[in-house]
Amino acid sequence: MSGHAPPERRPGRRWVIALVLLVAALSVVAAGCGGSDDEAADTTPEAGCGAVTIGAFADGGLTPFKDSIIPAAQQAGYEVEWLEDEYGVTLEKWFADAQNEAGQYDIYLLDDPWVPQFAAAGVLEDLGGTIDGEDSDWLGPMIDMGYWPPREGPRVKGFEDADPTLIAVPFVGDLQTMTYRNDVFTEGAPETWDDIIETGKAGVDAGTIKYPIVFRGVASNPIVTSWYPVFLSYGGQFFDDDWNVTFNDEKGKAAADFFVTTMKQNAPPGVVEYDSDQEGAAILGGDAGAIIQYSGNALKSDDPEQSKVVGKLDFGVVPKQEEAIGQMGIFIAAVPTGAPHKDCAIQFLDWYTSAETQAALAEAGSIPVKRSAFDVENPGNRLIPVALEQVDAGSEPRPRTPDWAKVEEILGIELNKALQASAGGGEALDTAAEKVTDYLQQQGYYD
Amino acid sequence: MTFGRAPRERLQGAQLDRALPYFLLAPAVLVVLAVLVYPFVDGIQASTQFYRFGRPIKSVGLENYTDLWSDPQFRNALWVTVKFVTLAVALETVLGLALALFCARELRGIRFVRTTLIVPMVITPVVVGIVFRLIYATDAGMLTTVSEKLGGEPVQILSNPTKAFLGLVLLDVWEWTPLMFLILLAGIQSLPVEPSEAARVDGAGSWRTFLDHTLPMLRPVLAVAIVLRTIDAFGTFDQVFVLTRGGPGEATRLVSLYGYDTAFKFQQVGYAAAMFVTVGLIILAFALAAVRMLRRVETA
Amino acid sequence: MTARVARWTGIVLILAVVLIPIYWMVASSVKSNKEITQDNTLVPHSPTLQNYSNLFAEKDFGAYLTNSIVVTSVSVFVSLVLGSLGAYAIARFRLVFRLERRLGLALLTMRIVPAVVILIPVYLLILELDLLDTWLGLIVIYTAINVTFVVWMMESFFREIPVDLEEAAMVDGDTRLSAFRRIVVPLAAPGLVATAIFAIIVTYNEFLFALVITATPDSMTMPRGTATLIGRIDTDWASMSAAGVLGALPIVIFALFVQRHLVRGLTLGAVK
Repeated sequence: MSGHAPPERRPGRRWVIALVLLVAALSVVAAGCGGSDDEAADTTPEAGCGAVTIGAFADGGLTPFKDSIIPAAQQAGYEVEWLEDEYGVTLEKWFADAQNEAGQYDIYLLDDPWVPQFAAAGVLEDLGGTIDGEDSDWLGPMIDMGYWPPREGPRVKGFEDADPTLIAVPFVGDLQTMTYRNDVFTEGAPETWDDIIETGKAGVDAGTIKYPIVFRGVASNPIVTSWYPVFLSYGGQFFDDDWNVTFNDEKGKAAADFFVTTMKQNAPPGVVEYDSDQEGAAILGGDAGAIIQYSGNALKSDDPEQSKVVGKLDFGVVPKQEEAIGQMGIFIAAVPTGAPHKDCAIQFLDWYTSAETQAALAEAGSIPVKRSAFDVENPGNRLIPVALEQVDAGSEPRPRTPDWAKVEEILGIELNKALQASAGGGEALDTAAEKVTDYLQQQGYYD
Repeated sequence: MTFGRAPRERLQGAQLDRALPYFLLAPAVLVVLAVLVYPFVDGIQASTQFYRFGRPIKSVGLENYTDLWSDPQFRNALWVTVKFVTLAVALETVLGLALALFCARELRGIRFVRTTLIVPMVITPVVVGIVFRLIYATDAGMLTTVSEKLGGEPVQILSNPTKAFLGLVLLDVWEWTPLMFLILLAGIQSLPVEPSEAARVDGAGSWRTFLDHTLPMLRPVLAVAIVLRTIDAFGTFDQVFVLTRGGPGEATRLVSLYGYDTAFKFQQVGYAAAMFVTVGLIILAFALAAVRMLRRVETA
Repeated sequence: MTARVARWTGIVLILAVVLIPIYWMVASSVKSNKEITQDNTLVPHSPTLQNYSNLFAEKDFGAYLTNSIVVTSVSVFVSLVLGSLGAYAIARFRLVFRLERRLGLALLTMRIVPAVVILIPVYLLILELDLLDTWLGLIVIYTAINVTFVVWMMESFFREIPVDLEEAAMVDGDTRLSAFRRIVVPLAAPGLVATAIFAIIVTYNEFLFALVITATPDSMTMPRGTATLIGRIDTDWASMSAAGVLGALPIVIFALFVQRHLVRGLTLGAVK
């Protein structure tokens, strides 16, 4: 009747095939599991101590390090094994590795907001024995981030009386600076926010640009990052020393109102949905007059593959209201307590953060973390000197608490709603302040 | 693995027959127990803990669960998700059924359509999210490009809460209607032909035939399709993440997104676990209700 | 006559709706990122295959595709075998505690569990088994996931098939299993195929577990590899579109093969 069975479905043959495949898979596994240190070490290490496994997330900002410093490290006797992962998963993966002391990594190249979480969990080595955190050559705000609890500012509950320990060292610097059209702002970098708007409008009228400014409006991290320099420049502060919310004070509200009304009116229409690629397209495509961004995107200005206005974009310090303060966000290196090559890792970091190596880093094109490195003859790009100016003018990291991500989320959502409405910046801050206070209360900040 | 046919072995076969189903089931059940159930129990255990700095510091019983309901962000996320799932699955079912009926016949051009219809659901969800982002983007998206070529204004979808939400639904419908289509097509093709033929001989119109004969016989398959799709729709993540990140505001902040952020961005693992368990229970309740309702109609 | 017109209108409409986003994806894959984000072009003004060659040259895409194909086929195959046998057990037999009524749904509930809940516990389990970054690690996970709904789906399809056919065969000398093999399986072929397609698509495009279990091109699957194109700040739109096109190809080819089987299933099912 229906004895006409499709051949692939006979159970007997199926079992054989499955078995064969399983064996095949297993043999591949056996081959792959056997450790992959095939690199013949033909360069005999000089002073260094051998293998160091570095975990990093994929980011253009690390390319100069990979291209120029890793070979130099090998010369100095450090065999760097580079394990790269995608940004979204590294926090969780590294934290699991640290907590379980799984030993997959010697060094984590953390995004600096992650430091509080790792540090508070007690899974990081004290680097202070080998590395001098008091060296004045460090860029102040950067080395501050390596201490837990922080030497200044509010401390998370449970760490009020602890001694600040150096558990991380800055690795590659990065911070917000301003990129502007030099054919619109012909007198040099606009100094104040009002300046950007005024002179920008003139540029629009002249037909040189379409919008004085562009920024990111997508809720949570992007919009808060865009608002950060405005907020800080208006003199705003997120928390007081007891973690009471202060961002909805007079100055904060002024900054928010300016952001959702004036700035929005002078930015492209879809700015509420913009993320970094769209804001980047606006400045590189020639439509926008100015933008505040990190170095990765800023440096695209000079690349003819990415920019239509090569030669017309210059860099400057972020604009001023009371101050001119931008956000700082760096790669920062930490060593887990479970690291297999702990001492070597620390030694490597000491070598890497030395003035000489940092100078080489600057020449390779990354923002160094030691001041003297900025003096090099040929910095790898023209943003580096401006970066130093910005550090001296003012550059602040995000608040040092593991709960910042949640606070940022709440704040970002409310700001985004106000941005959509082109109004209500102050009210948005009040709503956010309430929710943030509730949350911090729940987390035990005020007990 | 062949079984003999001599009467003697068939007697043995009778005993084997009683144990047989358990042998057949054992491998499947064991794999699921080891790989899914055991970690899940772990996860439930985590939901009774309060996490601070990424590690559990104290047991709080069911407090995480009760806190959920006083969390406006969770309530919003749940509401957005329910709206999304209901709308998307309803559209996908209706369209899928229509397409299945349309393609059930072997006519010219139909085969090509069948093949093409499979494509949307095989594209990696992340990429689908990206493609639709490139379609909806206000500054350089496809819709704006077309609009500007016709002399119009940029089309703003992702900056507007309602439009962004509907845009997301459209994405899901585009991506997953083919799946409903496939399952329902298989169901239609497995149907015995006689009852509908007899009905048509009696003079009943094709719409009547459909309602009275085809549809009732399709119920089990419909149930399978709807339940499967609903379960998956609740877990939609990649596309939303890339398309809107939950915005604008909280208009597309599905519970999967909020849960993921809670676990991995805010490190509140216990709270997130409670959230997922709760949502899982809701989905389960729905699945059970749907199955029971459809079974009851079947026997009627 | 009008039926013909209606049919072709329908066909054109369906094709348009399905193909427009695909066109956009393909078009984007031959543009540069600059053109995608800055120029508003409907037709790429200077199409280039650069994005595709980059994927293979710089980004190990060949390895990702291989890994995906191997892991997907093995895990789906195994889960189909295990799951169908289990589904048959539930569809035809009476078990203790009336399990046959509940087991299908019970297994399905494990499918409801969002991957995120068990993500880290599963990661630790695979770590303990020393299967991180291997094909086998992924295969084990995906088999378990697929079994949960293979059982449930196939149960439904098996129940559609009347028992008389098997009983007739058994009277004629078949055992349970050979009756299953010779009669039930061919009849349930459309169901098997539909389930297989579903399982393949779900497994092939699975992302979260691949994200944590794999770390190098030794085992990274295609979606996992595609995600590396999303940076912390920027997304490489052009490469992603190319990756999307490339990634879809194996499955589309597979679907083309399977098309004929669906048709076969139709004719078999109509036999009286």
